[in-house]
Amino acid sequence: MSIPQSRLRNFSIIAHIDHGKSTLADRLLEQTHTIDPRQMTSQVLDSMDLEREKGITIKARAVRIEYTAADGLVYGLNLIDTPGHVDFAYEVSHSLQACEGAILVIDAAQGIEAQTLANVHLALRQNLVIVPVINKIDLPSAQPDVVMDELENVLAIPREEVLLASAKEGTGIAEILEAIVARVPPPKGNPRAPLRGLVFDSHYDQYKGVVTYVRLAAGTIHEHSRIRLMGSGAETDILELGVFRPQLVPVHELAAGEVGYIATGLKSVRDAQVGDTVTDAASPASEPLPGYLPAKSLVFAGIYPISGEDYPLLRDAMEKLHLNDASFTFEAESSIALGFGFRCGFLGLLHMEIVQERLEREFSLELIASAPSVEYRVTPMGGGPVLAVDNPALMPSAGEIETIEEPWVKLSVITPSTYIGPLMELSTNRRGTFTSMEYLDPTRVLLAFEMPLAELIIDYFDQLKSRSQGYASMDYEEIGYRSARLVKLDVLVNGEPVDALSLIVHRDKAHTAGRQLTEKLKELIPRQMFEVPVQAAIGSTVVARETIRAMRKNVLAKCYGGDITRKRKLLEKQKEGKQRMKRVGSVEIPQEAFLAVLRMGDAG
Amino acid sequence: MTTGDAPAPAAHVPAFAAHIPAPAAPVALYVHVPFCRSLCPYCDFVVVAGAAAVGPRSRVSAYLRAVAAELDMRADALDAAFGRPGSDARPALETVYFGGGTPSLLPPGAIAALLDQIRARFGLAPGAEVTLEANPGPDDRGDLAGLARAGITRISIGAQSLQPDELRALGRRHRPADVADVVAGAREAGIASVSIDLLYDVPGQTLASWTETLEAALALGPDHVSAYALTLDDPEAEGLTGPSGDHLPTPPGARRWREAARATQDEDRAAGAYGLADAMLEASGYPWYELSNWARPGHQSRHNLVYWERRPYAAVGPGAHSFDGAMRHWNAARLDAWMAALVSVSGGVAPMLPPGGSESLDAATADTEALFLGLRLARGVPRNAALSRIDAFAWAAEHGLIEDGPGERVRLTLRGRLLSNELFARLV
Repeated sequence: MSIPQSRLRNFSIIAHIDHGKSTLADRLLEQTHTIDPRQMTSQVLDSMDLEREKGITIKARAVRIEYTAADGLVYGLNLIDTPGHVDFAYEVSHSLQACEGAILVIDAAQGIEAQTLANVHLALRQNLVIVPVINKIDLPSAQPDVVMDELENVLAIPREEVLLASAKEGTGIAEILEAIVARVPPPKGNPRAPLRGLVFDSHYDQYKGVVTYVRLAAGTIHEHSRIRLMGSGAETDILELGVFRPQLVPVHELAAGEVGYIATGLKSVRDAQVGDTVTDAASPASEPLPGYLPAKSLVFAGIYPISGEDYPLLRDAMEKLHLNDASFTFEAESSIALGFGFRCGFLGLLHMEIVQERLEREFSLELIASAPSVEYRVTPMGGGPVLAVDNPALMPSAGEIETIEEPWVKLSVITPSTYIGPLMELSTNRRGTFTSMEYLDPTRVLLAFEMPLAELIIDYFDQLKSRSQGYASMDYEEIGYRSARLVKLDVLVNGEPVDALSLIVHRDKAHTAGRQLTEKLKELIPRQMFEVPVQAAIGSTVVARETIRAMRKNVLAKCYGGDITRKRKLLEKQKEGKQRMKRVGSVEIPQEAFLAVLRMGDAG
Repeated sequence: MTTGDAPAPAAHVPAFAAHIPAPAAPVALYVHVPFCRSLCPYCDFVVVAGAAAVGPRSRVSAYLRAVAAELDMRADALDAAFGRPGSDARPALETVYFGGGTPSLLPPGAIAALLDQIRARFGLAPGAEVTLEANPGPDDRGDLAGLARAGITRISIGAQSLQPDELRALGRRHRPADVADVVAGAREAGIASVSIDLLYDVPGQTLASWTETLEAALALGPDHVSAYALTLDDPEAEGLTGPSGDHLPTPPGARRWREAARATQDEDRAAGAYGLADAMLEASGYPWYELSNWARPGHQSRHNLVYWERRPYAAVGPGAHSFDGAMRHWNAARLDAWMAALVSVSGGVAPMLPPGGSESLDAATADTEALFLGLRLARGVPRNAALSRIDAFAWAAEHGLIEDGPGERVRLTLRGRLLSNELFARLV
C-alpha cells in the first residue's frame, strides 16, 4: 500500500539509558498492530535487549508503522531507533538525520539526565521537532511536575507540550501517536527528481551481502533498479528492496521521504559506507547528499589473544565483526609482553568493551586489552609534519618532541547537589577545569567541566558513579586539542623497556604513576636468578625504581618419602610455568603480571 | 640409511644409558603406619588420629592384620617374578623403614611379629638397617627397649623444633625436654643410630631461634639430622586426593592453618636458615649427603639412599609408594578401602591387593629421574650424564649452581642446593 508523502512521518526516540525507550517502542508497535500481539510474546523489547546485551545497540534499527489516525487516514510512521550511549552520539546523529522529529523520553522519577541533554542538542542541531514525553508516571516516586519544571528551565520546553505516559502500563500511547502525526512534519523531497538516498546504517548478511538502510531525500527507487553509490563508485543491481516491519519486508518501490533497506549483494561494507549516497546508475544525481564525517576513533587500545596461537582466529574475528561494525578500526601490531595482536580504535570506552566482548563471545576468544589511550598530536623538534600517536609505545623520545597536544572534552555531569563536592574533587584531580554550574531544580545541578579525554577514559565513569552512589550521569563531547606537558613514561625491567607498559602521563603525575607501576611490578614479577631493577623512566631520567631481589630458594626440601612421582610432577609443573613466561631480555615474567598491571589501569 | 665400512657414529648413543627400565626385586621395604594421637596441620602423610589410633576402639589390630596380608601378597608376587628370597634375583632386604604416622605407637610385639614375617617372606640381610619413626612425647615414643629387642636399629625422632613456642605453633604435643629423653632412651636401649628431624621456615622462627634449635639438637649428639623446609602444599590442588589418590583431603582447619602459616614464611629467612644449618652441621662433623640430610660418617640413611639412587623398593600400607625399577606404584590413601581389600570380613570374598595407581617409566623419564634424584646427593652425578643435557648444565654452571666434584662427577653448590628446582625444572 502506497502512502502519499504528506502522510509519512520519520521519527526517532531519544532518551537517557533506562528511561524506557525500548518499552515505549514496544507499545507503539503493539497498539498500531505492527506486530501481531501473539508474536509479541517473544517481545521485541526482549530481543532488542538481548542484542543490546550482545552490544548490537550500536546499530540503529528502523520500523515501519502503519497507523490509522483520529482523522481516519492511514499514516506511515518510520521509527528509527537510536543507541542510547554517549559513545554512539555519532550513530545517533545519523539516525536523527533521517528524521523530521524525535520523541524525547524522560523518566518521571529521574528527570533530565546528561544524555537527555546531549541527545536533545543533537536533535535540535538537525532542526527536529521534539515531542517530549514524561514516562513511568505510574511509579510511586514519579514527579512529573518537577520534571516539567526542569524541561521548562533547562530546555525551554513549554509544559503544555509535554505528554504523560506509562509505557509499561500502556497509558498515553494513543496521545503520543497523535502527537507524531500532528507535530512532526512530513518529509520533503521530489519523488520525480534524480534518486538520492542517504545510507544511514548497514549490516552484512551472508546471503544478501551488504544491506544498506536508506532514507530517500529525492527520487524513487524500484526493486529492479541498478544503483550506484556515489562515494565509493560501486554499482550493483538491487537484490531486494523493502521496509522494516521490523523484519525485512520486500516492497516494489520506495519514494522520496521513505525509509527502507536495499540489499545490494555487495561483499564489502566499504563499498556502501554509512554516509554514502545511493543514486540511480542509469540517471544519476549530479551531487551526493552531504554525508557524514567518518566515524572518529577516540579511544585506542591493543587487543591481544591471551594464547598466542589464537592470533589467526582473532584476525578472522576482527574482519568478520568489522563487517557489522565499521566504526572500530584495527591494524596488526606486536608487543614483547603480549605477542601479536591488533591496535584498535573505538568510539569510546563502552564501544571498546562491546567490541572486546563480542569478539570473546561470538568467536570464543580469550583476549586482553592494553590500557586505553587517546590519539596525541606530536610536533617534532625542528618542524616536520605533525604525528598522530595512539600507542604510547610509539611515542618519540622526549628529545625529539617540540610539543604534544591531547584531545580535550567538554564534560557535562548531572548530579544531586549533595555530591557536588566529591565530583568537583574527582574532576579537578583529573586535570579538569570547572566551567559552570546550573541548577535544574532545587536539588539537582548540571556541572560542566573541560577535561583531557585521556583522564576521562581511565575509570572516570566508574568513579563518578561510585562517588555519587550511582546518581550522577555524564556526557561529553570533543572540543579539540590542547598542548600539555605530557611525558612518555617507560617501564624498564633489568634495563629493557617493556613496550606494552609505556604510558603517556602529565609530567606532574609521572612520579606517582611511575611509583605505582614499579611497586606493582615488584610484587608481580617473580624473583630471578639475579637481582632485577624495575624502573620507570622519562627518557633517560629514572623517576621510580624498585629492586626485585635475587631468588634465594627454590628447592623441594620436604620429607616426601618414596613418592618420587609427586616430586617429578611438581618439577614438570614448574617447567610448564617457565615455558609460559614471557621474556624481557633475560628476565622471565609471567603473562599474569602484565595482565595485572594492565588491569591496574581499570582500577585507577 | 647408508651402508658401508665406516663404523656407526657413536654420537647417537646416549651418554647416560644406565637407566633402561627393567623390573627388579626390592632391596628395601617401607611400611606405612597411619596412626597418630593428633593431626599436625602441616602434615600431608596418610594419617588417622584420635579414637581410630589409640584406645579401645582403635583400628590398630585391624591394620596389623591387613598389613600382614599385604606383606604376604606382595611377597607372593615377588616369589613368582624373581624366586624365593635369597635366590639370585631376589636379594635379602638391606633396609626396612617403619614410617608414619607414628609407628612408635605400635606395641613392640607387633613390630617384632612384622619383622619376623618380613624376614621369612622377604629376607633381611645381616646388618640390615631397620628404622622406626618416633614422636618424642611421653605417650608417643613407645617402649624403646622393647623396640630395640624387636629388631629396630635406627630411630628417627620427629623433633621439628627445640623451641617450646615453635612447637606449640606447629601443633606438636611434645616439649623440647622430651626430645632429649627419647635420644637418651634410645641410646640406653642400644639403638645404634639416632636421627633427629627439624623444620625451618616455621611460624615465629627467627634465625636466632633456629640457631638455638640446631645447637640444642647437636648437644644431644644424634647420628643424623634431617632439616626440612616447612612446605605447605595443597594435595587437593595437585589432584592427589581422589578415590585412588595417595593423599587424603586436607581438613578445613589444617587448610586455614596453612594459609596463615604461609603468610609468615619468608624466602630469605628460609635460605638463611638452610645455610646456617649446613654450616653448623658440617662444622660439627655432619657433612651433607642429601639436600635435607646430614650425617656422621657411617650413619647416612641407607633406606632413603635407595630412593635417591633409584634402587627398587617395596612398600605396604595406605598411601605407600613402591618402585621396581620400571614402574612406580602407590596404594590409595584411604584406610577403609585399603583394609577392605586386604581383610576378608565375612570370609566370603578372597582378599586382594588394595586399590591404587601406577606409572611406568620410559627410558627418557628414567634418565631424567636419575639426574634430578642423583643431584640431590652430595656425590652428584657422573659428568658424562650431564653431557646429555648440556644446555641446562651450562646454564646452571653460569649461575653458580653446580661444580665439579671428585671422580669426574658434577654436584650442586650450596647455592645450587637452594635453587635446585631451577635446574631440575630444566631437566624434566
